[in-house]
Amino acid sequence: MFEVSDIVATYGKIEALKGVSLKVESGKITCLLGPNGAGKTTLMMTIAGILQPRRGAIRLDGMDLAGLSPARIVSRGVALVPENRLVFPQMSVRENLLAGAYQRRDRAGIDSDIDRMYARFPRLKERREQMAGTLSGGEQQMLAVARALMSRPRLLLMDEPSLGLAPLIVAEIFEIIAELNRDGTTIFLVEQNAHMALKVAHQFFLMEQGRITFSGTPGQLAEDEVIQRAYLGSRRAAG
Amino acid sequence: MDFYLGLIQIIGVHTLLGLSAYCVLLTGQVSLAQAGFFAVGAYVAGMLTVLAQWPLIPALAVAALVSGAVACAVGFPALRVKGLMLVVATVAFGEAVRLFFFNFTYQIQAGTLHLGPHGAEGFRQIRYFPENGWSTLDVVLFIWTVVALVMAGLWWLDHSRVGAVLRAVGEDELAAQSVGINITAVKVSAMTVGGFIAGIGGGIFAHYTTHIEHAQFGVVLATFAIAYPILGGLSNVFGTLLAAVFIQGFLIEGLRFMGDWRNLLFGGLIVLAMNVRPRGLLDAGTTRALRRLFAPGKERSGA
Amino acid sequence: MVDLVQNTIDGLMIGSSYGLLALGFTLIFGVMRRLNLSYGPSVMVGAYLGTLVYVQLAAGPLVVLVVTVLGSVLAGLYVERLCFAPMAAGAGVASMVSSFAIWMQLEQAAVLVLPRHTYPFPPLATADPLAFGPFYLRVDGLIMLACALALSAGVQLLLYRSRVGLALRATINNPVAAHLAGIDVRTAVVFAFALASAVGGIAGYLVLATDQQVTPMFGMWATFKGLIAMMIGGLGSIPGAILGGLVLGVVEANSQWYFGPQVRDLLAYVLLFACLVLRPGGLLGEAPSRQQDTGRRGA
Repeated sequence: MFEVSDIVATYGKIEALKGVSLKVESGKITCLLGPNGAGKTTLMMTIAGILQPRRGAIRLDGMDLAGLSPARIVSRGVALVPENRLVFPQMSVRENLLAGAYQRRDRAGIDSDIDRMYARFPRLKERREQMAGTLSGGEQQMLAVARALMSRPRLLLMDEPSLGLAPLIVAEIFEIIAELNRDGTTIFLVEQNAHMALKVAHQFFLMEQGRITFSGTPGQLAEDEVIQRAYLGSRRAAG
Repeated sequence: MDFYLGLIQIIGVHTLLGLSAYCVLLTGQVSLAQAGFFAVGAYVAGMLTVLAQWPLIPALAVAALVSGAVACAVGFPALRVKGLMLVVATVAFGEAVRLFFFNFTYQIQAGTLHLGPHGAEGFRQIRYFPENGWSTLDVVLFIWTVVALVMAGLWWLDHSRVGAVLRAVGEDELAAQSVGINITAVKVSAMTVGGFIAGIGGGIFAHYTTHIEHAQFGVVLATFAIAYPILGGLSNVFGTLLAAVFIQGFLIEGLRFMGDWRNLLFGGLIVLAMNVRPRGLLDAGTTRALRRLFAPGKERSGA
Repeated sequence: MVDLVQNTIDGLMIGSSYGLLALGFTLIFGVMRRLNLSYGPSVMVGAYLGTLVYVQLAAGPLVVLVVTVLGSVLAGLYVERLCFAPMAAGAGVASMVSSFAIWMQLEQAAVLVLPRHTYPFPPLATADPLAFGPFYLRVDGLIMLACALALSAGVQLLLYRSRVGLALRATINNPVAAHLAGIDVRTAVVFAFALASAVGGIAGYLVLATDQQVTPMFGMWATFKGLIAMMIGGLGSIPGAILGGLVLGVVEANSQWYFGPQVRDLLAYVLLFACLVLRPGGLLGEAPSRQQDTGRRGA
């Protein structure tokens, strides 16, 4: 189980996370919804170790991750697919995947995992020697997911995987998310597209202004209300 | 006493140099061409008073205009490059100017003397101040009057719409462009004003040292020019003044007693200052605090 | 015509050392996106230590080479620690100003250790030039050229065929993504500085051994030659760095012959300015748009 308790993080002088606590059940898809600027990306970057929390604990199966370097966190089994994908544009698809396995030393295992990624994402196989910067947005998103999977994470974090993609591609990405989960990966997902997210999620949290304001299962709250609060925040939605 | 007056002269001229970099830096351009503009001002002003027998003030004015024009001409091609590429392009320009004066000879015979720039030997006998009976104190007062005028001008500019536009371009070019600011005009104007101020500084420099040569205008001087506003901070013109006093007065003259070890400490102290205050000695926070100290209750919100 | 060819040959040889300096520069610039003005001076510190063991202990050329390279690497890491590691993202100009301050410091340190203006440096090769018809090839020049080609090929291989090379290139491509992939970016940066300083140290050794003397001006000289060659060749490209060095060497050798040494330097800067303005990416560089985000931002 993955658990975040009472995380406080500042971004410059702004307190972006004001004591966030949440739990992600193993083997499930958990989704974090909320309006822009609620602190969702800050939370993801803090979990991944890019930003350091001021206070609070981050635990994966009892191991404390807070304060570790990003590389350490990857080797402990947490991988983040960042917002806007962030592939290595001037490296080939294959090299991007190799970089994702940087913490691993098992040459044979890495090679067979690359083959598995090619099987799961046939388009990456077609383009394996192509520079990642020349791929389409959807292909880059798949590469970013595959790169994260190359570290064999126990917990896969995804920040806005549907951002800027065509609806057809978004549907494909969510299918992949569901598929990965069926194969046993725990997924914690930040999403603006509440409609799609609620379809795949087993559990969700609402975040507004740096705080968790609701947690439950899809269906516990009317979808309209979730969407309204996820896009606009509750204060404006109420008024 | 003369030593201190000399030091005050140096600080004044270096403040002008720093201010010239300051207004270019406001638009987000890191220019190492300021020493080149400074050199142009020095040679032009010197040639006008020595060879053409002009009085000082018109000579300085023309020197400033010529430097400004050169800066304007550099500003256009330099617009094509940004960030580090601009740094290097301006280094290239500055060094090209220096090497131009290294090779530049234009002398006239005056009695037994040869006057005017003479290539590698430099330009000697720029004796306007002694010939016209200016005392060192007069020169000091003159320099600091000019410094005060330039600072007042920049202060006014900073607090007018122009300052807001310059800073907007420096903060975020794309955003500035999207609200209808003409980036080209703003950047080239800033470069021109910077060249103008550097020209005045160079012209004064030539006259109080009486002897200039190419080696004085190298990349070291250019880096000093940019170091003042960066060390001082971009929140207002006083940061640059403070940094010039700190570097020239304290780090260079104040530590002279340390002899050969001075440069070791000099480097260390600059690095320390940049580490402790990466946004400069006088950043927005300090300025606010000072203003509160001196004018309680008058602070503008959001300043 | 004979002159032109001979000048071009000489230019290629000296240009190969410029290319090596540019190679080190481009590595540092690639990972940091910042300008290290202390690059040349840190090579000079290495060269001065090499000179010290030569003058004081009468060390052989190989020992001088090793000391020069190790000294350069140590000085390079010192610069990284002081001017680059502590500076926050966006404080690129602060790094540049700091590296300038450290330049003065390193130069002073070198002069304190060896206070005379010039010191002898052990020669690279004392054999007579090889004659080919009307043309002469200097043996030390040939060694320099061979070293430059071999080293650049070696660095290229290291970057594209090794684990640490993968980490370096990932960091150059996108530091945040490199962190997220589990790459220790800090180690990659330190490695890049060490590698760049080692390459610079070898270049410095070759140049000084050809000149057979060392002066305190060498640091500034190395920074400028490396910087110009890197910019002409194109940022972030290893073949570009070498090509830029060779172009610079050939232009300098010919302009020196036809117009004299002052015009040579002037032309080098004019060439650089023109290159930057007309072709900001350099001859073999990456697309210019990627370097454009290195501006002030929070300086």
